[in-house]
Amino acid sequence: MMRKFFAQRRKKKTSPFSQHMQQRQTPELTLSPNLADNLELFRTLLGNPHDLLIRTFLIGNTNHTCAVIALDGLADSDMLHNQVLGHIQLMISTSEKSVPPEPDEIIQLLFEEVLSVVEIKKETSLTAALDCILSGDTALFVDGSSELILIDSKGWKTRGIEEPVSEGLVRGPRDGFTESIRDNTVRIRRRVKDPNLRFESSWVGTRSKTELIIAYIDDIVDHEMLDEVRRRIATIDIDEVEESGFIEQWIEDDFLSPFPQAHNTERPDKVSASLFQGRVAILLDGTPMVLILPVTIGLLLHSPEDYYERWIVGTLTRLLRYLAAFFAVFSPSLYIALVTFHPGLIPSDLAFSIAATRDGVPFPAFIESLMMITTMELLQEAGLRLPKPIGQTVGIVGGLVIGDAAVSAGIVSPVMVIVVALTAISSFAIPSFQLAIAFRMIRFFAMFGAAIFGIYGVILSLIAIMIHLSNLTSIGYPYLAPLAPQMPRDWKDLILRAPVTFLKERPQALHPEDEIRMRTGDSK
Amino acid sequence: MSAQTLSEKMISKNHMGINIASVTVGVGILTFPRALAKATSGFDGWISVVISGLVALLIGWLLAKLAARFPRQTFFDYTAIIASKPVAYALTLLVCLYTMLFVSFEIRAIGNIAKQYLFYSTPVEMITLSFLLIVQYAVAGSRIAMLRLNLLFLPVVLVVIFFVLVFTTQLLEIENIRPYFSSSWKSLLEGSKAVGLSYSGFEIILFYTMLMRNPEEGPKAMLLGLFIPVSLYVTIYIFVIGVFSAEVAKNLTYPTIDLAKEVEIPGGFFERVESMFFTIWIMTIFNTCVMWLDITILNLTSMFRKVKKMVWILALSPIIYFVAMLPQNLVDFFAFADAITYFGMIIVYLCPICLLLIAIMRGVKGHE
Repeated sequence: MMRKFFAQRRKKKTSPFSQHMQQRQTPELTLSPNLADNLELFRTLLGNPHDLLIRTFLIGNTNHTCAVIALDGLADSDMLHNQVLGHIQLMISTSEKSVPPEPDEIIQLLFEEVLSVVEIKKETSLTAALDCILSGDTALFVDGSSELILIDSKGWKTRGIEEPVSEGLVRGPRDGFTESIRDNTVRIRRRVKDPNLRFESSWVGTRSKTELIIAYIDDIVDHEMLDEVRRRIATIDIDEVEESGFIEQWIEDDFLSPFPQAHNTERPDKVSASLFQGRVAILLDGTPMVLILPVTIGLLLHSPEDYYERWIVGTLTRLLRYLAAFFAVFSPSLYIALVTFHPGLIPSDLAFSIAATRDGVPFPAFIESLMMITTMELLQEAGLRLPKPIGQTVGIVGGLVIGDAAVSAGIVSPVMVIVVALTAISSFAIPSFQLAIAFRMIRFFAMFGAAIFGIYGVILSLIAIMIHLSNLTSIGYPYLAPLAPQMPRDWKDLILRAPVTFLKERPQALHPEDEIRMRTGDSK
Repeated sequence: MSAQTLSEKMISKNHMGINIASVTVGVGILTFPRALAKATSGFDGWISVVISGLVALLIGWLLAKLAARFPRQTFFDYTAIIASKPVAYALTLLVCLYTMLFVSFEIRAIGNIAKQYLFYSTPVEMITLSFLLIVQYAVAGSRIAMLRLNLLFLPVVLVVIFFVLVFTTQLLEIENIRPYFSSSWKSLLEGSKAVGLSYSGFEIILFYTMLMRNPEEGPKAMLLGLFIPVSLYVTIYIFVIGVFSAEVAKNLTYPTIDLAKEVEIPGGFFERVESMFFTIWIMTIFNTCVMWLDITILNLTSMFRKVKKMVWILALSPIIYFVAMLPQNLVDFFAFADAITYFGMIIVYLCPICLLLIAIMRGVKGHE
């Protein structure tokens, strides 16, 4: 029902890409030939800000007034000095060329000969010029002309490239994305020197006008999927977009699902590998988090390191991770089920010792687990927000509270502490933070199942989760591919990680246009 | 959603085979050695398993042929083409009744077995109800996603049964399986009839062929789909008789689960393996159950196109639940099961074969 509602909502908002680009807030304003009028207009439109730089000057030895407008800090002032103002003043006064009398001819001369800047264009629309100035360009006016020249002078301070904090690796490149979208596209280009790499630029947010880039490799990506991504992005209609999370939530298939339907990463190597697999990446200005679409369960449980290490290591690590996924979701519920309903399933010696340790505990196993798991969630959340030095204190305090004091106070049993520790460690072993969060939510669901129906409840909750996952799609692609639907060819890169020489094809699950990765016959 | 191409909403030959295997392997496999041991009084029961498997294959092949004649058409549609609309309405309604009763049977079976092996004080009503709710949830989603669950669960179940068999190998006693070939033909046929119930399910090909990419591959899918249960049943029967002897097997309610009971995992990590075994087994019973309910809904919506799927699910569930709660004890319950099967033999085997004959005689064919 909700899905249908959502589909209708989408349909209504559907608009082609080009149309979307024209949805501007302010009505279209054109330039007047009078310089003073233009400058005044700019001042009023921007509310006469203190960081607006306006410099008027006379060109050469003539009486033609010119002006440059830029925003302080956004535009590179060195460049304005040397390549723009310097050139205009110097070249025109020293060269033998006489300055033509007509303002439009002056513009032409500046455009073609004087300005030594790579990215430069002429513009007649004032609104468009305003947008460009707001994103760091410089506008050059000549009195009497109703055209202006826009000079690309973007140059503000950005953060340096650092190692991604949220996705550490032992082996692998150390660079991460930054907040500047230009730096990010560079990081991808550096890795993908394929002429078919495409960056489709547009903007989202009617007020924030945040730049958004859809990256893909033209002859690998499934174009049907690409069109769907474009269509969904075109429906985005909000005034401001700070982070790629907005995009993710807007274009996801099922907003009721606890599972992430777009993968975010700050690792350029992960993005480039995904592009080569036939996925699409969405970069947004102002955030280092790049979205990868579509998501399959494999993408979330695999780490780039699986491929960098030798295949035996990669395979075993993956097995470990799948096991961790199971423990992260089901270990507290299995504890509840076994202790409360089926002590007979535990070997008798162990059952006796568990019973003995639970002797003084006043709560049923379910309440006990609920308390401990909630405490662990609290600790995790608290540790996340605190500055690093204090974070360690939380770890120690939490560790002591969970580990020792709770047991000696007789609130929980020692076995429970082991279960909680196992659960926590397992969920940290999941490479995708978003998936780990999903598991944390499902864990409670399974615990309720176990509290009501014991191990029968656990298997029912497992079945329910599988039903959900089987129904779930990401940009229309089945989430559980290549398991269901079955694509046996992809299985060598699912739980197994076959030696790289065996991975001759791209994942079938993504319908790549070009399926073959290795063309030069047998690799051996 | 629109990015998903049509071909991906269809199912392949192998997938269809796995669907058939999943729907066949259900509750029947847990009980059939008892009925078989009773009928044939000995190891020779495996011949009965094969005989009834071959009969099932023959029927299944005919059903697949029928469905393949009318690609992309529902059971109701092609019955209407072959034998007029009123007949189609009557037959499809009967089929719905049959499949619905089957759902009742399966959910009650879950309740009974869970009660016996997992719970002692939880009422059967609650166990059954919770299972029915999960089944509803699965059917409420998309049909292809529901069928994909078979791909996920069947391998797990097969691996578990494989482990059980491996660990019981040491308990096999050759004495138990002697004498060979001592049963009369009559008792073997009697046995075949007894195993018959455990094979019911392959008739889903009548309804799901319309989802197949290449409907003409239906007969091959049937071969794969029945090969898995036949080989599984033969192996399990041999093991049950080998471990317990025919005399004991006759008196066990769920001999296959009791086989798991005998398993001792080295290291003593688990005790009472039969509980774990049954817990995993719920997955395949779930698959069977979901497909039956889905077919009921599929047939109903093909007849009454205006009524939404969700309405049928919500309307049918109380009836299914009520019927499931009717049998008062195990004797009633198994009598109920037998009654459904005989009813089903006429409705989904005999009638469709007649339809096929009529279709061939009249030369009716579907169009792509």
